[in-house]
Amino acid sequence: MDPDVHLQNFERDLADLRLLHLADSALPIGGLAHSFGLESLVSQELLRVSDLPEFLRGFLEEAGMVEAVFCREAVRLVRIGEGKLCTDRWVELNDRLGALKPARESRAGSASLGNNFLAAAAALGDFAMLRETLEASKQAGISVHHSLAFGLASGVLGFAEDRAVLAYLHQSITSMVSACQRLLPLGQSAATRILWNLKPVILEMANRSATCAVDDVCCFMPLLDWGAMEHPALRTRLFVS
Amino acid sequence: MEMIAGVAETERGGKPALSLPNHVQASLRLDFAREELTGRTVLAASRQEPPLRVVRAFALEDGAAMVHLHNVSGGLLGGDRLGLTVNVGAEACAQITTTGATRIYRPREESLVTTQSNEVAIGENALLEYLPDPLIPFAGARFSQRTSIQLSRGAGLFWWEILAPGREARGEIFEYASVELKTDLVAIGRPIAVERVRIEPGNHSVSSVARLGPYRTWATFYICRVGLEARAWLEVERNLRETVEQFCVPSRTLWGISTLTAHGLVVRCVASRGRDVLPGLHALWRAAKRQLYGRDAVPPRKVN
Repeated sequence: MDPDVHLQNFERDLADLRLLHLADSALPIGGLAHSFGLESLVSQELLRVSDLPEFLRGFLEEAGMVEAVFCREAVRLVRIGEGKLCTDRWVELNDRLGALKPARESRAGSASLGNNFLAAAAALGDFAMLRETLEASKQAGISVHHSLAFGLASGVLGFAEDRAVLAYLHQSITSMVSACQRLLPLGQSAATRILWNLKPVILEMANRSATCAVDDVCCFMPLLDWGAMEHPALRTRLFVS
Repeated sequence: MEMIAGVAETERGGKPALSLPNHVQASLRLDFAREELTGRTVLAASRQEPPLRVVRAFALEDGAAMVHLHNVSGGLLGGDRLGLTVNVGAEACAQITTTGATRIYRPREESLVTTQSNEVAIGENALLEYLPDPLIPFAGARFSQRTSIQLSRGAGLFWWEILAPGREARGEIFEYASVELKTDLVAIGRPIAVERVRIEPGNHSVSSVARLGPYRTWATFYICRVGLEARAWLEVERNLRETVEQFCVPSRTLWGISTLTAHGLVVRCVASRGRDVLPGLHALWRAAKRQLYGRDAVPPRKVN
């Protein structure tokens, strides 16, 4: 094999493996600690196992779409800046995504995952831009949201934009299914089947996000908003949010 | 009334659309100011284009000025483009309400999307209370609203919106084509709340638990006062949770409250019956006004 082709294949495969690693729910950033309002819905008996396929589809169409658009925007930020962080835009994107999240606990959950993710990714190698972003975010006093941190790291590590968005959505919905397993009588096989069947929706949302502007992306999840707002008032809680 | 004529606009999907002569483009501008001499707020200036009308400003006992927004055509017609601009000057207090629900009528097939644009600026230590009746989108309605609210230092806001599922009494539920609500709340240059909602009952299941589940009416209430610290907002949130507890009937109405990123909080309500929403909003408004301003809310006369 041509050495250049061999090198290209190696780099592509290495990027794929790294993306799989960063999108794994086992990455120690605290992903398993958040239900983002699900726990309240279950507690109020508003969400049952039979509702899950439709619920999770709706989740991807609404919240998933928002996160996909912001994740993509962060990947593009690296490309546009040619490796240099545009701090103003980074701050603006994080402020805006925070303002799009009405419930404090969900907002804080997203920020906790984002900060942890960015720190974890920056510690994996000599990635100056990730370190610079951590420092700039700290100085600006902003919360770094998960989808933006994931997108930025993906851009820095050279992952293809579409693959990064797909991976982000996949890990996001996997975490939700995992939360459902702990809250509802949902077995491994049923959970696996639900996740399997959602893959076309993940693809659809990732594709749509490619042409959706940050200012236009919409999210209508009033019941989940209620669940996330009500979560601090639950008497017993498995999750932080 | 200014008519839009000719081929000028772009219909959904980017196709040029013929704008019919009965499409209305109108705006209403209201400038409230505090009178130095009396300390009362007056409607200092207004510019009105039919069908949007404000007959006069009423003086409230707390010194605020209250106006009723009228739409003399009775509602929004397909393709209407309405604009509302509100400026509340420094230290002024204004209250705006409507004379009834805002009906968004079924449009003609060729009509453009009905749009409403709200531009609001609240000056230093000023207060705006915006307490409209519900939006009722009729079958087939296509509506898009864009609201921008700029809050200065010390500025306060009570702003609610209620979206009905349609004409419930005649069983017309979620038969509208689309409702889009875009709201930006900016306090001293930073976004504190961004709302982007698009509901298309024909394309997505509104009754999914991911959206409204078994509920039909949806309300949002923003309560802000710029400068109040995060800890104080947590206290306000806790008190309002107690206030609204009596209105929470899980089978009928749910109320959620959360602090925003700064300077305020947001209330979300979902309800099976539209009539259950206003009493809760009024109770929250009264409690929050007392806690934040140390004075009573003065309900518009129509609800006394």
